[in-house]
Amino acid sequence: MTAYPKNMNPMIKTENLEKVYRTEEVQTKALNHVSLTVEQGEFVAIMGPSGCGKSTLLNLLGLLDEPDGGSLQLLGTETSRYSERQRAELRKRSLGFVFQSFNLIDELTVFENVELPLRYLGVGAAERRQRVEQVLEKMQLLHRRNHFPLQLSGGQQQRAAVARAVVNAPPLLLADEPTGNLDSASGHDVLGLLTELNEAGTTVLMVTHSEHDARYARRVVRLLDGQVVLEHSRSQF
Amino acid sequence: MLPYPLLLLYRNFKRFKGTFFINLVGLSTGLACALLIYLWVSDERSFDRYHVLDSRLYQVLENRRTAAGIETQTGTNPLLAEALRREMPELDLVATTTPVPFFPGFTLAAGGQHLNAVPKYADPAFFQLFSYPLLVGTPATVLRNKDAIVLSEALATKLFRSPQNSLGKAVEWQMADRKQTCLVAGVFADVPRNSSEQFDCVLPFAAFKNMMHLGEVIKWDDDGPFTTYLALKQGADLAQFQAKLAGLLKTKSAQAQAQAQGRTLFVRPFSAGYLHGTYENGVATGGRIVYVRLFALIAGLILVIASINFMNLFTAKASRRVKEVGIRKALGASRAALVIQYLTESVVMALLALVVAVGLVQLVLPQFSALTGKPLTLRWEWPLVAAGLALALGTGLLAGSYPAFYLSGFQPATVLKGKVPTRAGDVWTRQGLVVLQFTLSVLFIVAVVVVNAQLAFVQRQPLGYDKAHVLRFDTGGRAARQQAAFLAEVRKLPGVVQASSVLGGFLGGRHVEEMRWRGRRLPVATMLVNYDLVETMGIHLVAGRSFAPQFRADSAAILVNQTLVASLGMPDPVGQQLDGGRIVGVVRDFHYESLHEKIKPLLLQLDPSINTVLVKLQPGAEQPTIAQLQQLYAAYNPGFTLDYSFLDVDYQAQYVAERRVAVLARYFAGLAILISALGLLGLAAFTAERRRKEIGIRKALGASELGIVWLLTSSLTWLVVAAIALALPLSYLLLQRWLEGFAYRVAWQWWYFAAAGLGALLIAWLTVSVQAWRAARRHPVLSLRAE
Repeated sequence: MTAYPKNMNPMIKTENLEKVYRTEEVQTKALNHVSLTVEQGEFVAIMGPSGCGKSTLLNLLGLLDEPDGGSLQLLGTETSRYSERQRAELRKRSLGFVFQSFNLIDELTVFENVELPLRYLGVGAAERRQRVEQVLEKMQLLHRRNHFPLQLSGGQQQRAAVARAVVNAPPLLLADEPTGNLDSASGHDVLGLLTELNEAGTTVLMVTHSEHDARYARRVVRLLDGQVVLEHSRSQF
Repeated sequence: MLPYPLLLLYRNFKRFKGTFFINLVGLSTGLACALLIYLWVSDERSFDRYHVLDSRLYQVLENRRTAAGIETQTGTNPLLAEALRREMPELDLVATTTPVPFFPGFTLAAGGQHLNAVPKYADPAFFQLFSYPLLVGTPATVLRNKDAIVLSEALATKLFRSPQNSLGKAVEWQMADRKQTCLVAGVFADVPRNSSEQFDCVLPFAAFKNMMHLGEVIKWDDDGPFTTYLALKQGADLAQFQAKLAGLLKTKSAQAQAQAQGRTLFVRPFSAGYLHGTYENGVATGGRIVYVRLFALIAGLILVIASINFMNLFTAKASRRVKEVGIRKALGASRAALVIQYLTESVVMALLALVVAVGLVQLVLPQFSALTGKPLTLRWEWPLVAAGLALALGTGLLAGSYPAFYLSGFQPATVLKGKVPTRAGDVWTRQGLVVLQFTLSVLFIVAVVVVNAQLAFVQRQPLGYDKAHVLRFDTGGRAARQQAAFLAEVRKLPGVVQASSVLGGFLGGRHVEEMRWRGRRLPVATMLVNYDLVETMGIHLVAGRSFAPQFRADSAAILVNQTLVASLGMPDPVGQQLDGGRIVGVVRDFHYESLHEKIKPLLLQLDPSINTVLVKLQPGAEQPTIAQLQQLYAAYNPGFTLDYSFLDVDYQAQYVAERRVAVLARYFAGLAILISALGLLGLAAFTAERRRKEIGIRKALGASELGIVWLLTSSLTWLVVAAIALALPLSYLLLQRWLEGFAYRVAWQWWYFAAAGLGALLIAWLTVSVQAWRAARRHPVLSLRAE
């Protein structure tokens, strides 16, 4: 579904990426010199125990947070010194997000939730409608288009979230524990969707602590205490 | 299908019904107040502005240096208009007129009908200067003949059935012992309500000059009660004209030249006179504009209070909305897009409140009109629509600005977890807003207490005379011509205690002239009175005697007040000769003006022909006595009606502006408190919800319900206490300034502040405790499970 020019640049390249959380008394290093490269078209799982820094890494890669040190290149562009406006611009054009808790807006219907990224891109109403319906159909949610999130099952909510994440055809999809709140059948569905998207060319980066889910990825990066401790391919499970 | 932003709003409102309701009530009552005040203010500002020549229409005033400072007066010499016409080529039109409250007891008679009327004598240019459209006659010529009279449409219709029918008809006017026949030369459309001068007929000033022999006696050094109006030519330089006018008196007679050292003429835009009528020491210091500004300020403050509710509740609910902010940001929404979204939300909320406010205004407009003494209406003309929309837009932006910038500023990674980062600045801002809200509310309460205390003081203050059961009316016709006989018969009526007469009325400002005694000079007010005035009004004599018919020389005698005696330092005043006459008695000081003014030196001069009659009635016998008075008056003047008023009502009328302020302040204070309390209620509900888990844990560990209530109320209590601490000195400063407008004022009492502070605290406690109590009574298991 995504057609974008391939070039020599990796999708993500970090060097010595750092993130420190400070309170009045304590300073916690959430990420400690993380260097990571994700090529275009890859499906990478980031694994590790709770508190190892995997969500922090995803937030930085998704430009939802600012690093305290190091370099972060997305599609060959250095973003670590981006302003809030530049980050917002890159997010809406190039990134899609899927969250563990779905993060659908309760006051918006499925259709309205999915069309939101297109609104921010300034896509006209007719084209929005066409693209949203297309993606909802693909996610088998067209019949639920006028439902509110709370009227859907967990699996349906996550499918809606995936639909929203890909409706603007981003080259990079970031998923944070996408099956964490789902039963196993729905989880399987969602992972199948991510695999399909990856096969169609979308780079997928998924944070998970589930070995089962990680097997869907082609490569696994393991974090511990804010550092990359191991990288291996699917075959090395 | 609603447009997208409205749809979002609708769903948000549905989700947070309580907050929506509080905001709607707060903003709509705030906007209703502002709209009502706008109607009042725009009516005040419309006064005298409807004249076509408004932009170049001026009134001549005079600054006069006296021992007490510079006095500014509207009265000008009748020679002035002629001199201006001759010597000032930059003038288009000039007219002298008599001031409107000048002829008590003026009546018109035609075809056997007698009607009371308010006349104005004016130069021929009058109808060219002022836009009183003529239904019959032409502006340039209608006042040219000395025997002409121009009637108002209402008067012409009453006397001759129609304006057209009245042209050329004879009308006889009568005033005191004078009467004269004139011919209707024109009819003007009734003077609009928003005119500072109300009159029913206009006569040529030339006729007045003839009647009073002004042409023979008037000199440049006389000052006159007459008003002079002028229109500058298009493009004429006002500053140059002012300079020429200031030097004009010096070019006149030698005596005028000597006097002119302390006298300066200047012009003021005619339409500015209504609002900016007060001068102190030669400088314009305000007038009604003070109240216009005050009420506009109050409207603004009430809107601020209502906006604060919106800000506080919106940001307090932030925890429920920050996640949405995070999601939107993750999807690429820029900060600007979010700011616009939240501002749209608040503006739409304000527009919705405007719709409710318009309904509220319609509902209370009759009462508000009665309160302000103006027949105000909601007319959907563009200034009102624009004002309404501007108010709503301004309020929406004001109320939405803080939440919009607050919410849109969060880091998406933080708020996606659903956590609101607590920033000390935000907490301070929110608490500061509550303090500001309550500061204003307490200020309003103190204002209510003090204004009412001062008005009660005005009622209680001994005036030096007895204003109760005194009837006042102006006589005309034979009753005026045979004043002494008429008064003698009035005194004989059962139920009448005493009767006399006074020039113009007993209350109000008097003509002030400089008097000399043994080389000392003193500005002295003069009251022209009839026999028995002192007895009728219950004024005390402290030395000498009152006027009495058996003393023939009393026509050259005067009574003086104690202030005059003290000011001149007279050791033995009775028998002393002053400019006005020989002193035969000294009266105890009495308040012949409102309590805004200090009692000034006053002399009472005898004039038995004056025709504003004061009748002291026996308490309880008012109605039958008035009926008899009406019969007696009708016997003297068949066809005339007796228009009377009670002196105590006239007395109250002096404080009509203050009374209005008192009532309005009461309403506004009530509203301010109501809106603030609503805001506090919302905030308390939010606090209770936010601390639900904490309350559950505390209760599980054994905290009492009362302890929980204190836990939740104490922080808000301190905010209100801080507001009180701020408001009390502020209210003292502001109200002291208001009180200084009264020469005689109530002393500050500690309980004014105590009542206001305790009142605010009590209301705040009641509001917060309800929520706190509900939270405290919740079963701890429920609270913990909900988390």
